[in-house]
Amino acid sequence: MRTILLGPQRFMTTAGTALRSLGVDGPVATINAGWEEREDVVDELDTVLEGRANHLRLYHRTFDVLAKDDVFAAAALAFRDRHDALLSLYRLRLNHSMEGVYDVVRRTRDSSGEGRVRGEGAGSGEGSAFGAVDDAVEGVRHVDAWYAAQLKSLYAELDAAAPLDSSGVIAWHRGEISAALADCAALVLTGGHVGTLLRALRLFAIRIPDELPVIAWSAGAMALTERVVLFHDFGPEGAAEAEVYDRGLGRVRGVVALPHARRRLRLDDRDRCAVMARRFTDQHCVLLDDGTALELTPEGGLPRGARILGIDGAIHELGGGSPGAPSASSASTPTGQGATA
Amino acid sequence: MNERRLAVNRLRERLPVDGAAIDRFLARHPSPVVEGERATFLFRGDADEVRVRHRVVGLADPLPMKRLPDTDLWAVTTTLPSGSRVEYQLETRRGEHYETFNDPLNPKVAHSPMGSSSVCAATGYEVPDWVHHDPEARQGEMVEDVLRSKALRREQPVRLYLPARYTAAQRYPLLVVHDGTDYLDYAAMKTVLDNLIHRLDVAPVVVAFVPPRDRLKEYPNHAPHARFIARELVPRLAERFSLVDDPQGRCLMGSSFGGIASLSTAVRYPGEFGSLLLQSASMVFTDIGSDHGGGPYFDPVVKFVNRYRARPSRPVDRIFMSCGTYEPLITPNRSMVPVFRQAGMTVRYVEARDGHNWEDWRDRLRDGLSWIFPGPQKFVYE
Repeated sequence: MRTILLGPQRFMTTAGTALRSLGVDGPVATINAGWEEREDVVDELDTVLEGRANHLRLYHRTFDVLAKDDVFAAAALAFRDRHDALLSLYRLRLNHSMEGVYDVVRRTRDSSGEGRVRGEGAGSGEGSAFGAVDDAVEGVRHVDAWYAAQLKSLYAELDAAAPLDSSGVIAWHRGEISAALADCAALVLTGGHVGTLLRALRLFAIRIPDELPVIAWSAGAMALTERVVLFHDFGPEGAAEAEVYDRGLGRVRGVVALPHARRRLRLDDRDRCAVMARRFTDQHCVLLDDGTALELTPEGGLPRGARILGIDGAIHELGGGSPGAPSASSASTPTGQGATA
Repeated sequence: MNERRLAVNRLRERLPVDGAAIDRFLARHPSPVVEGERATFLFRGDADEVRVRHRVVGLADPLPMKRLPDTDLWAVTTTLPSGSRVEYQLETRRGEHYETFNDPLNPKVAHSPMGSSSVCAATGYEVPDWVHHDPEARQGEMVEDVLRSKALRREQPVRLYLPARYTAAQRYPLLVVHDGTDYLDYAAMKTVLDNLIHRLDVAPVVVAFVPPRDRLKEYPNHAPHARFIARELVPRLAERFSLVDDPQGRCLMGSSFGGIASLSTAVRYPGEFGSLLLQSASMVFTDIGSDHGGGPYFDPVVKFVNRYRARPSRPVDRIFMSCGTYEPLITPNRSMVPVFRQAGMTVRYVEARDGHNWEDWRDRLRDGLSWIFPGPQKFVYE
């Protein structure tokens, strides 16, 4: 299984190089549904992929389904309403929960005299002695898990209201897509709106064969992971908490993909970064900035040198050997980063 | 800025000077002359008195100018903290004749339904780039509509904004804007919406711009107005457009008396709307007695706000409030923040060094709209 995760391609185009590194011949399937109405504006992408692209046009296919399958269209709209309501409640709970974490972190830091969050075991101050930070973070994980469980139920309701397998138009598109994928030597997933991309992937039941090499960046890279986490610390409404949005395709395991990390995360706020790393401590929070190119190991693990957030709030290179850096051997067992104090 | 180093004081040190020297001074120093946190207002001409008229709380109004000896140049210097933006006019007295007009030496002018004013922008103030037309931004569509209102007993015009690429396959939040025509004309709100939606700062939203007929009567807690908004306008729009069918997707917005109209409508119809966007809302109140100093038009406002403060309710979940620190309403607005919070609402409160005017409200639109209806930035990773 060959998978390459790239940084954003807007300012530093590395997709062509990555494709050549795969050494495969034949057409390259592309999924750029995240570009939404610009899905067909593919001149630059075609050039980068050396004219080998076979665009699957999932966004346009989605609208074709909505136009032709009234039952699905109505169910999808109802699902969006319910999902929006769920997200609204999730954000409410999440914000309160995260505020609690930050309050505890501040108290712990103040009482321990440390400059940033410390691992509970390493803390000597009174505030850290009670396991308050870990327990507060566990509360956030509980909210994340609640949301994920509720979302799963919503999907079940959607499937019951409009079974995707019984729709003729969906089946027709799925057939075309499967045939196209079968003929391709590689698959490219671009960036864009990750919500739109995930909806399209789910609607057309995209399953990527293990043997099909994949190159993905930005939203595409997020979609390959097990759990898609949204984040943006510099939005106009101010820093918003990272939120678990949906399940991804699960091809890339043990990873929270963070495209545009330098542009979107307050990486200089060690406390904030530390809380994020601890919240997703069962996975590696991987920074995918401009120029990043990570070819995963055949087992799907991160390679040496991957830049990740440590639970000390600092950025580490995987296997870099620094005191806070997890070893490369821990890449497929992310809890290994617990060594970071 | 050292007083002696101010441009006008350097000119004073060179007195007497001839008219040509003053010409050169004015050519070199656009009026008002902003130097550090000081602004010098200038006027050239014959008069018995010249004064700067403004409504900045904390500064003397009027602000008398002094003639530089043996010249026809008048000047006054005042403090102007970084980031400030002040609207003003000049007033001259010649004998018994008073005249008020925009600063002839200053081309910067702001417009409002009451006319225009000159603008003095301090260091640090910049017009946000998202208020200007952006050719890259897709244009929303404006639709003229007229509703036959039983509540108001008249035909009520409404201008509707549909975001670019509006489609019935999605649902949209609804924003109802009081003084809607003024927001379009004086706060560039159509352009602002186009730009902020294009930049993903604000979610695509359907907006109803509602102009009043008699705002001083209809806006301060007026039952027919509230009924029109909640029971006629919103249901009509929900029938016509694909709107979010949830209070969270409905927001009332307004400035000054329009803020009171928004709040009082929400109080009369609790649970109908999820949020309010209040800009310099006229939330005048008294703690004892009825001498509020606002004149008879404020009587119903004070009555409403006093009653609300006595028994605060929670008509919405979230309130965005903004107010200029230089306007008289700053104290009432600051005072209402804890009242709303104690009633259980989430409040985002923003202040700016500006006054009670449309460009202040325009400049705060990004803060308010992106908080009420956040755009999909969090979802987009190009």
